[in-house]
Parts: sequence; C-alpha cells; structure tokens
Amino acid sequence: MTLTHISKTFFPNSPKEVKALKDINITIKKGEFATLSGESGSGKTTLLNIIGGLERPSSGKIILDGLDLTTLSDEAMSDFRLRHIGFVFQAYNLISVLNVRENIGFIMRLLHYRDKEIDARIKELAQMLQIENILDKFPNQLSGGQQQRVAAARAVASRPKLILADEPTANLDSKNAQRLMEMLRTLNEKEHITVLFASHDKYVLEQSKRIIVLSDGAVIEDR
Amino acid sequence: MFKTAFQLAYKSLFRRATRTSMVVLMIALSLSGLLLLQGLYDGMVTHMINTTLRSDCGEISLYAKNYRLEQDLKYHIDDIPQLQKSLDQIKEIDTYAIRLSQQGLIATAHKSFQATLKGISLEQEKTFGQLDRFLFQGVFDFGKKDENALIGEILAKNLKVGLGSRLVFSAQDANGEINAISFRIGGILKTGNPLIDEETVLIPMKKMSNFLSLPDSATQIALRVYDPSSVKPLQKILQNRLKDLEVYRWDELYPLLIQMRQMMDLFNLISYIIVFIVAALGIFGVILVSILERMREFSVMLAIGASHTQIRLQVILEAFIMALFGYTLGSLLGWFFLIYTASIGIDLGYFEAGLQSFGLGSVLFADIHGYYFLEAFGAVVTASLLSSLWPLYLLKKIDPIRIIQGKML
Repeated sequence: MTLTHISKTFFPNSPKEVKALKDINITIKKGEFATLSGESGSGKTTLLNIIGGLERPSSGKIILDGLDLTTLSDEAMSDFRLRHIGFVFQAYNLISVLNVRENIGFIMRLLHYRDKEIDARIKELAQMLQIENILDKFPNQLSGGQQQRVAAARAVASRPKLILADEPTANLDSKNAQRLMEMLRTLNEKEHITVLFASHDKYVLEQSKRIIVLSDGAVIEDR
Repeated sequence: MFKTAFQLAYKSLFRRATRTSMVVLMIALSLSGLLLLQGLYDGMVTHMINTTLRSDCGEISLYAKNYRLEQDLKYHIDDIPQLQKSLDQIKEIDTYAIRLSQQGLIATAHKSFQATLKGISLEQEKTFGQLDRFLFQGVFDFGKKDENALIGEILAKNLKVGLGSRLVFSAQDANGEINAISFRIGGILKTGNPLIDEETVLIPMKKMSNFLSLPDSATQIALRVYDPSSVKPLQKILQNRLKDLEVYRWDELYPLLIQMRQMMDLFNLISYIIVFIVAALGIFGVILVSILERMREFSVMLAIGASHTQIRLQVILEAFIMALFGYTLGSLLGWFFLIYTASIGIDLGYFEAGLQSFGLGSVLFADIHGYYFLEAFGAVVTASLLSSLWPLYLLKKIDPIRIIQGKML
C-alpha cells in the first residue's frame, strides 16, 4: 500500500480549520508489523482511518494493488473494507446483541461463507485466543481483555490483507496486552497478514518491526 | 445479505424482549379491537338487511304496475295461481310469500292509529323468512277459525293492547267501499323492521281477500333466492317474463340500508385510519429510539464492512417482524372476539330503545369475513414500513468515525 501526498484538513476555510495530516508519503509492504506512533493529536488515528477508508483524505492518493482507494464510492469502499481490511478498535466495539461466536463470524457471514467454514474458523481462532469457553457469552458478560481478543478474532476471521488496530492495548492490563500482541504477531507470521497499529504504548512499540512517528500531522521518523 | 440481515433483526428483537413485546402487544390489541369493531359494524348492517329481507321484501319483490307509487288496490296482482306456476319453474327462486295489503285505521275503544293490514299465509312466511322466530308474545297462529291476528310490538304498545285484545281495522276495499274487520290479538311480533313493528297487523290471506273483495290477488310477492349473486340476473329474467309487473331488488326498495352499509364502511375506514396511525406511531417510536440507541452498533457494522443497504434492510426487517408478530397475535385475539360475538353476541339491553329505532335488537352479533384479516395485514405491514422511513433517513446520515470516537450522539 502506497500513500502519496496525503493531507487531511478538518473544517477547511473556517476559523476552526485543523490540518490533521500534512503531505504524508509512506509505503506499507505486505506482511509488515508496523506502528504509527506519536503523541495525542499527532494525526495517527486520522491516518489509520484514512488508510482503512473510514475517512477520505483532503488530497493525495492511496494505492493498493494498483487501485486508488480514494476514487472508490462509499458503497465500493465499504465492500473493499469488508473484503480486505480488519479493524481492532480501542473500545472493542463488539455488536452487543450477538454472542462471541456470532461476533467472530459476523464478517464471514456478510461475505457469504458457508456455515461449516465459519464454524471451523471460529473454532480455530477460539483455540488460538483461548476463548473457547466464552463462545456463547454476550459482550456485556466479558472482561475488557476477553472483549479485545474477540474483537481481534473478528478482525482476522475472514483473513483480510490488512489489520488496522487503533490503540488496541489502551484499555488492557499488561497481561492481556501481551496476550493480544502475541496473537496478532502469530497471525502476522502464520497467515502473512499485514498489521498496522496506531499506538503510543511502549509495549506495542517494542513489538513492532517498523515504527512511523508522526508529529503535528507530519511523518518525522520512519524506522 | 437478506439472511444475515434477517438473523440480526431477529436476534436484535429477541434480545430486547421487553420493548419488542410492548410493541407487539400494542399492535395486537389495536388490531383485535379493530377486527371486533369491523365485525360488529358489518354484523349490525347484516342484521338489518336480514331482518328486512326475512320480514318483508326478500331479495326481490313483485308489484303490480303503479302500485308502489299510488298504493291503490286497483293496481293489484291477479291470477295468482297462474303466476305461482311460473315462479315455480324458475330454478333460482328458493321460496316466495304472497301478501295482500291495505292501509287503513286500526282502533281500540280508546285509541286509533294508521296501520297496514296484511293478508299472509303463515306456512309461507315460516318458510320464507322464519317469521315465527320473531314471535315476541302469544302464538304464531291465527286460531281455529282464523279469528286472530298478529301485530307488531310497537304498534301494540302504542295502542296499549295485549294478547286477546279486540281491534277493529277499517279501510277502503277494492270496490271503493269503506269496510271494517275485527279480530283479537293472538300474537305479537318483534322483528326489528320498523315497518312491521310499528304499523303492521297480519291476518289470514283468505280473510283479507274477503275483506277487500279481491280473491286470488296480491299486492306484493316477495322472493327469496338460493344465491345472492343471482339477484340482478334474476331481476332481468323476471322483468322479461312478467311484463305487467314491476320487479324490485331489496336495495332498490330499501336504499337506506345501502346508505347504512356505506356509513358503516366509513366508520370502518375511520377506525382503520386511527388504528393505523396508533400502530405506526408506536412502531415509529420504538424503531427511532432503538436506532438512536444503536448508532454506535450500526457505526461499528458500517466501519467493519456492512453496507448501508444491509443495515437499512435489518431495520426494515425488525419493523416487519414486529408487525408480523403483532398481526398474528392480534388476528388470533380478534378472531376469538369475533367468534364469541358472532355466536353469543354483545348484550346492549340498556340501549335497546335506541337500537330498536335503527332496526336492531338489543344483542349485537358480529360478522366474520376472511378479508378482514387480509385488510388488517395490509394495514399493519404498511404502518410498520412507513414508520421506519424517518429512522432510516437518520441512519443514512451516520458518520461512523465520529460516532465511534464519541463525537456525535
């Protein structure tokens, strides 16, 4: 994925105008395990949302496999997200009326996988994430760590090309944060899924193979 | 897409069971009340029509030309035996009643009223309209020597007479002479048809023929048919065959009944609109609150790849499923109410006088028709779909990121 001259301005031409991103140029290769880092307000979440197609850049291009994502319609972008991108949010964002099993299989259902395939994948991920015993529980019956593991399982269930994780460890204790990172790392290595974090958590940064540091909406370091 | 949307809608409804139950119950109660009202309205009109058909005109009535306009005995139907042979050959006719009527003055020693004296055959009237079932007091019989008469209940009340009272009826006979006839009251009829109850006295046909000096004659022949849908074609057949007679359908003789039916249809429509609005507002409120509460949930779904169409479909299905459950429960309840009121009826004895003036009995019976349930289904489904339009519009404006980040709502 190549980002060229990406800028994002909120409330343009108004007294409240905020330049969240300024001329970002980065390339993320397949199979990377990278982190967008920076202080609060540096633009890392905005950049993550733009990469995931949740927000449109004010200017610039995002090219993935030769396709410019900024030219896609809302419905096409929605379909693209469904097929190629998995999200892990800071606040887990599980669907409250679905149990764990149904939450994990949700995206696969939208993609019309067969029930057998969905069940097999849920079983596989549940074992990997050690959540077999909570499959029939609802989100409000789970701890934060359990919810985040379920959210991660949902994100990877359909084997997307890219997982975007926005501050995934922010609400977790160190033990659960470690467990989540291990799981994402395993998926990255076993299934060659590209993982991109937006985080300033030390532990996440230590685990990342590449760190892109943003400050005031610009990339100031890429190592 | 449909399967997933349906599963989500179903789960969403069942995991918010209290709210869903309230809406379903609201739809069900409104609907069952509506079905009951519709059945009662129709039942009232059907009762009035049936009573009129049974006690007077049948589906079709034959009169001599100009009789209905002039009410003069010179316009009478004669050669009845020959006419009976013709009627017997028409397969659409179930039965008929031959009557000879004259208007005149009915009097006791103290009071007198205008009334209609009718010569009838009790046997014919039993077969024709089960007139014997309208007997209120006394016996359905003219006595061994045909000395008795049957009288309408209100007329008897107005004359302040009872069983065994002697009455004198005076009127002009076919020769233009004033004539009088006396009889005792052997039975009192309460039909619900004001024309009978308020102003009619029934005596044997033979006695009436002698009184009016009109043998083998009639002023009205009322017909009952096997199939109500054959009334119009039969009217044409009779008009062609019996050129000297006027042939009227019941709705031509009693246009008021048709107006009454139209009025009841209007009441039905108004009830439908009220229930429709109540149901629509109920579902609208619940769906709106449900969507506002779940903006985050929908935003997450949009963020992870569900389309707006998918979510719209889910919301519509939620409304539809609630409507369907409400309809099913409401139909069952309504069916039960209808069955009860159709067989046992609702006793409104307190309003008897008022109901009687409309030709109704004190016990109201409901009608039951399959189309009630079809119409109700259409109304409930339409209400549920219409009520989800505004919530759907709100959904269209969702900005998932702002909601997930807590910047909206």
